[in-house]
Amino acid sequence: MAIGELLFEMTEWLRTTPLVEFSLWVSEQPLCIWLQSHFFAIPVFQAIHILSIAILFGSTLLLGLRVLGLNATDQSMSDNYRRYQPWIWGGVLALLASGVILLISEPVRNMVNPIFWIKMAALIVAITVSLRFLGAVRARAERWDVSPDGQASVRTGAVALIILWCVVMAGGRWIAYAPV
Amino acid sequence: MNSLWTSLEGSALGSTIASSEWLFPTIETLHVIAIVSVVGAIAIMDLRLLGLTSRNRLVTAISRDTLPLTWIAFACAVVTGLLLFVSKATSYMVNPYFLAKMGLLLLAGLNMAAFHMVTWKGVARWDGTVAAIPPAAKMAGLASLIFWTLIVLCGRIIGFTLGIYH
Repeated sequence: MAIGELLFEMTEWLRTTPLVEFSLWVSEQPLCIWLQSHFFAIPVFQAIHILSIAILFGSTLLLGLRVLGLNATDQSMSDNYRRYQPWIWGGVLALLASGVILLISEPVRNMVNPIFWIKMAALIVAITVSLRFLGAVRARAERWDVSPDGQASVRTGAVALIILWCVVMAGGRWIAYAPV
Repeated sequence: MNSLWTSLEGSALGSTIASSEWLFPTIETLHVIAIVSVVGAIAIMDLRLLGLTSRNRLVTAISRDTLPLTWIAFACAVVTGLLLFVSKATSYMVNPYFLAKMGLLLLAGLNMAAFHMVTWKGVARWDGTVAAIPPAAKMAGLASLIFWTLIVLCGRIIGFTLGIYH
């Protein structure tokens, strides 16, 4: 499988970087040792991580469906934006906080893993697109239901964002299956 | 019963998923996306029932906003969950966290059914008035949040304990 070989090459390269030494150093820190030695610690933080993305993804999905005209069309776009925007950013913060804990809990498995870095790249793109998408919705919210010009790009953004967060989630699941 | 789980696992479908390098993680990925969507949509309704969010929108409108997504995503979670189950049926059936997850799913379903058959009948009286939300509706919302949180947690623990019980 070509993808498998590419990932293997990436892993080989990651092994030549200072990330190996750094991740080994992290694995000797008290927090990592604590997380590793308490059986339920990692699944609890993973559950918090999943609930964070549930808040973030559920809000993005429903605001995206509103933008696409498929949901809650009886609520104004301004109200819809105000309803979901704080939850999207709150979800991102909880996601990052729980993600840092999970990174510390298994430093070598994450940092010397090509899928982890692919996920981080997808995450940066997803957050950047979220910023632009929410900015575009806010700018057009007042006249959204009156004049539909300039909405095509926002609709594309909604679809792209939903796909991007799915890619991030896929990355999260596949970290455990990297050919390392 | 034991032979049922063994034969499921040995079926063409079960052994195909179990022996493939990419099928199990791919189905797991779809399962995660589905359950994340279920929990996200359900939490919006639960928080409204608790009177904490979307207070200026009718409860019935929130229900319309979230129910279609909840059911579509739940159907995807069930189909992908069954596929994962079939591939390792005997290991799942002896795993206490899997059995707990199924029990919690049943409780979440009963909670939702009771809410819709009893409390929801009087929704017209508290649809737009946060102060009038009855304790039964708040309890249903809170119970749902707790059940789904524990379902996610059990799902994660299964990943660490599958195969350690016999």
